[in-house]
Amino acid sequence: MKTSAVVSDTIEPFPSTINGDTTATLDCIQRARAGDVGAFEILYKEHSGRVYALCVRLQAGDRSEATELMQDVFIKAWRRLETFRGESAFSSWLHRLTVNTMLENARSDRRRSARVLSMEDTSLLPGAARSTSIDLKMDMEEAVASLPRGARLAFVLHDVQGYQHQEIAEQLGVSVGTIKAQLHRARRLLRDRLEGSNEGFDQ
Amino acid sequence: MTHDVIRHLLDDYVTGDLPEDARAPVADHVATCAACSAEVDSLRRILARASELPAAIEPPAEAWSNIREAILRDEKAVATPIDRVAMFRRRPMVMGAAAAILVAVLSSTVTAIYLNSRQPSGVTTVRVADATPATLAAFTIEENNYLRTAAALQDVLDQQESVLAPETVAQLKASLRTIDEAILEARNALARDPSNKLLVEMLSANYKQKVDLLRRSTEMTRGT
Repeated sequence: MKTSAVVSDTIEPFPSTINGDTTATLDCIQRARAGDVGAFEILYKEHSGRVYALCVRLQAGDRSEATELMQDVFIKAWRRLETFRGESAFSSWLHRLTVNTMLENARSDRRRSARVLSMEDTSLLPGAARSTSIDLKMDMEEAVASLPRGARLAFVLHDVQGYQHQEIAEQLGVSVGTIKAQLHRARRLLRDRLEGSNEGFDQ
Repeated sequence: MTHDVIRHLLDDYVTGDLPEDARAPVADHVATCAACSAEVDSLRRILARASELPAAIEPPAEAWSNIREAILRDEKAVATPIDRVAMFRRRPMVMGAAAAILVAVLSSTVTAIYLNSRQPSGVTTVRVADATPATLAAFTIEENNYLRTAAALQDVLDQQESVLAPETVAQLKASLRTIDEAILEARNALARDPSNKLLVEMLSANYKQKVDLLRRSTEMTRGT
C-alpha cells in the first residue's frame, strides 16, 4: 500500500535485499521492528531451531540452560532489531547475538568467567577430567558436550557452525593462536571419546 | 620439514587452512608416515561427524510463550494489526482505554516539546518539519475522533456484512488490514520521532483512509 511504503521510506530506508534472507523474512523483520509481535513470532519459528541447537552445544548439552539462553537471545533480538542493518544474513546476526549473550551471561557468573578460554584452566573443568577417565564410546553430541568449555566453544563455532578462526578470535576476544590450540585439543579429545583411542601425538 | 614440525600442521592441512606452498611437503610426508596418515584420517572422521550434527533442534514449546510475555512488557510491543481490529470490534470498551493511552502519550509529547520550547534560544534546535504543540494537540483530538468513528462503523459493518458477497467482504478485510498495518507503522515511527510533523500528517491520512473505507462499506450494505 502506498501510504505504508511512504511511511517506511521516510523513517528508515530498508534494504530491498539482505544476504540470504527471503522477502518474507525481510518483511517480518521490518514489521517486527515496528513493534509487530506476530511478525516476530514468525521469525522465531523460522530461526529458533538453529539457534536452539547452537545454545544446546554452547551450554554443554544442558537443555534447561540452553532454553534460558535461547529465550535471552530472542528477547535481546527483539530489543535490538533496530541495530540489524542487513550487512549479513539475519541468521548470522542471530548466531552472533547468541554467542555474545552466552559470553555476557558467563561474565556475570564469576565461577565461569575465570575459566572462559583459559588454556591453563581447562584441565580443571569437569569435561577435561572425563577425558582421561572415560573409556566408553560416546555419540557425537555427547562427546561435544563433554569437552572443556574453551575447546567446546572453538569446536562448535569453527567445525560445526563454520566460522573462520579470525571471526571466532574477534568474537571471543582471544588470539587466533588460542583458537587453533583449542581446536587441536577439542579434536583430539573427541577422537579419544568417539573412537576409544588413547593413542596419538598428544598422549 | 621434519615429522615434529609437520604433526603441528595437520589440523590446518585437513581443514584446508594451510598456505598453498606448505601443502605439498605436508602431503608428501603424510603419504609416507603411518602415524601422520592415521592422524589425518582420524581428523577427517571427526570433521565429517561434526558436519552430520543436526543443524536445528526443536526448542521446548513453552519457550515462545516466555519470550512473548517478556517482550510484551516492552512498551515498544503492540498487538498485531489483525488483533487490533478484533479488539476494537469485539470489545468497544477497550477502545476508550486505548484512546486514553494515546492521549497520555501525546500529552506527554506536547509537554516535552512545550518544555523544550521554553529553553533559552540557541539550546533548542527546531526543524522545519517539527510538529508544534498545537499540531499535536489538534491531532490528539482528531485521532480520538477517528478511533471512535472507525469503531462505530466497524460495528455496523460487522452486523451488516452478511448482505455483501463473501469475496467483497474478504477484499474489504484485506484492505482494512493493509491500512491498519500502515497505521501501526506510522504510529510506531511517531513514537520514535514524536516531533515529526510529516508523520503526524501521514498517520492522520491513514486514519482518514480507514474511516472513509469503513463508511463506504457500510453504505454498500445499505445499497446506497
